[in-house]
Amino acid sequence: MEIKVNNQDDIKVIKLIGDFDGSSANKVEDNIMPYIENHSRLIFDMGECEYVSSAGLRVLLIIAKKLKSVEGFGVLSNLSEEVQDVMEITGFSHMLNSYDTVNEAINYMKKGE
Amino acid sequence: MLRVDTYPTHEHNGIKIRRGKALPFGATIVPGGVNFSVFSKHATSCELVLFKKHEKNPFAIIPFPDEFRIGNVFTMMVFDIDYENIEYGYRMDGPYNPREGFWFDKEEILLDPYAKAIGGREVWGREPDWNDKFQHRSRIIFDDFDWQGDRPLEIDMKDLVIYEAHVRGLTKHPSSDVKYPGTFTAIRDKIPYLKKLGINCIELLPVFEFDEFEHSKISKVTGERLMNYWGYSAVGFFAPKAGYAATGKFGMEVDELKNLVKELHKNGIEVILDVVFNHTAEGNEKGPYISYRGIDNKTYYLLTPEGYYYNFSGCGNTLNCNNPIVRNMILDCLRYWAAEYHIDGFRFDLASILSRDQKGAPMVNPPLLEALAHDPVLGKCKLIAEAWDAGGLYQVGSFPAWGRWAEWNGQYRDDLRRFLKGNGDMVGRIVQRIQGSPDLYSDRGPTASINFITCHDGFTLMDLFSYNRKHNDANGESNRDGADENYSWNFGHEGPTDDYGINRERIKQVKNAITILLLSRGVPMILAGDEFGNTQFGNNNAYCQDNEISWLNWNLLESNREIFDYFKKMIEFRKKHPVLRAEQFKTAYNSSGYPEVSWHGQEAWNFDFGASTLTVAVMFAGGAEDYGTEDDQFIYAAINMHWELHGFELPELPEGKSWYVVSNTGMIPPQDMWDENNHKKLADQNEVLVTARSIILLTAK
Repeated sequence: MEIKVNNQDDIKVIKLIGDFDGSSANKVEDNIMPYIENHSRLIFDMGECEYVSSAGLRVLLIIAKKLKSVEGFGVLSNLSEEVQDVMEITGFSHMLNSYDTVNEAINYMKKGE
Repeated sequence: MLRVDTYPTHEHNGIKIRRGKALPFGATIVPGGVNFSVFSKHATSCELVLFKKHEKNPFAIIPFPDEFRIGNVFTMMVFDIDYENIEYGYRMDGPYNPREGFWFDKEEILLDPYAKAIGGREVWGREPDWNDKFQHRSRIIFDDFDWQGDRPLEIDMKDLVIYEAHVRGLTKHPSSDVKYPGTFTAIRDKIPYLKKLGINCIELLPVFEFDEFEHSKISKVTGERLMNYWGYSAVGFFAPKAGYAATGKFGMEVDELKNLVKELHKNGIEVILDVVFNHTAEGNEKGPYISYRGIDNKTYYLLTPEGYYYNFSGCGNTLNCNNPIVRNMILDCLRYWAAEYHIDGFRFDLASILSRDQKGAPMVNPPLLEALAHDPVLGKCKLIAEAWDAGGLYQVGSFPAWGRWAEWNGQYRDDLRRFLKGNGDMVGRIVQRIQGSPDLYSDRGPTASINFITCHDGFTLMDLFSYNRKHNDANGESNRDGADENYSWNFGHEGPTDDYGINRERIKQVKNAITILLLSRGVPMILAGDEFGNTQFGNNNAYCQDNEISWLNWNLLESNREIFDYFKKMIEFRKKHPVLRAEQFKTAYNSSGYPEVSWHGQEAWNFDFGASTLTVAVMFAGGAEDYGTEDDQFIYAAINMHWELHGFELPELPEGKSWYVVSNTGMIPPQDMWDENNHKKLADQNEVLVTARSIILLTAK
């Protein structure tokens, strides 16, 4: 799994490329956690992530909880229908809002100011 | 903080290991790796076999060094495991001597009896690779679901209305209008419907991993594949059926089922699981090695002195439930489902087997049943027994209860059916059944009785009034299987008909049945689909029918809307009248100034309990002081199962109150059932005329 991070003003757009499963879960967690500080704002671009396993979803949940604890904010974007369904079905969808595109997510975050 | 024991001490072909912890059994994710622990009393050695997911050949076979064994438990901690992408099993060596009860075979790869998830059947009905020696593969999961404050609902037993459903059958039919038909998540889509109906508990047919291909064959009659569809045959007791999960192919069935439970709870609906501890999917002497047989046959199964399997279950083998090891496994299992899945209760299939000792003889105080009744984790769980077994033990009314166990009241079903069909000799029994069966449960109260007229096993309610005989040819056993004694009646034509009169009679009988069921004290249980007249086309044993015979046809909800409306309003009626949901068999005079339950014939206050009659009326008087209602409640039901019209003289009400009609099954909609605020005042307060095979339900205002 490859992780690309872009800054859009003070919003971090994190692109996850490849399968997000048990073999990449630790890597994602280790890479993302340092970005989480007070009031940090993260957008996950899942456009090139076709598969998120249970371990992957757990990392997202841990990130979401961590963000909440520091009054940060995170959203998902570009989810494939399948990944979106899996999150919904397994009870992970309540943790992070989801937007169709990265731009929509950015607009939402900025409006939230 | 780092633990001292998170460092490997040994290495096997590059895999780092150390002695593990004996408890808990199973595979547990611990810092640094996974702890494996498995019991076998008679094995001489054991190996851990590790596979990459779905692969036929293992990538590692690690013998447990003898120094890792603690007592009869093989333990090992394996480091750096990608827990999500592996499957594991055990190989056990030991004596092979079936006469002595030993079946060890060191070539067989065995499922962990404590596996929390099981691979191999992740997509329902997908033909397995039969060349794979390891069919049911233990997997490792994280029990860290985000419950967001949920816990079991603990609804009082007296207030339950149970809805018995098959996970796949509920939504597999194309008419069910869900995105992932036949799955756990599809049940979520039906929650608004279930709430509208008014039930507050769903009882699921077995959801422990089973093999739908067990005994599977092509029907000579229909050419269709017959499946192990009901699933009363557990492969593993700790893992949910992956093929029931839309996300099973991703190995996420555990979270999917937990999320379903959470959503049901959020909507006020409890979950009861139908659990099958009487036997396993390993069958008899000719059955496959899946787990228990190869791990410790003599411990897990009841064996004859000659080493054969006892067959009290009718399914080839009998789990040795009162062996301390097996007993603890069952306890661990139920605690796990209660604690980790927030399950509200359990219904035990052929529960009488759980009361047999290690030689198969029934015990007075079976330790397993006692342990379950007193278990701390299960302290608020509903425990419901199917109080008989296939070995001839029948304990309805006498199942060892310790004040905790309720029973499927098979007597209720049979007596109601016979009375509805027109057997007046039953009336004395009907009096008992409506009161909550004090003749059976005098020490335990009405809530010991799960009242039902139909369940998955037998005719649907509509079929009960559409068929004289079972029609099980599609099962491929020349119609020999399934119960012969159904007390059913077709009203003059076998099966579907265009005859308006016959169809009206059938609908009326369905309404009569549900009226009595929901007026009866005890806990009512409804078979899913009965509320819209679902049919199994006369099949009364659809255990192998994964097709339209078993799948609920939701189109019938439209065509039989009146049945649904009637069920819904009867459930509402029950909920508004606590006197129907009493926890004691109270019948004597109460604060209303009337007897709490009184029986009447065609003359008020005059009922001959010794008579053979098809006309009987019951009055419930719920005193406001006794039941905390705003006003005294009076309910009167005139039941006429005779084929002619009869007049019923009405009991006199207190000054200022009059009788109002709630429902009249003899009428067609909308006059069959009135809304709460629209009840019709009877013009004649002294008598009601009840048409043939009808019930008129009155309330006082």
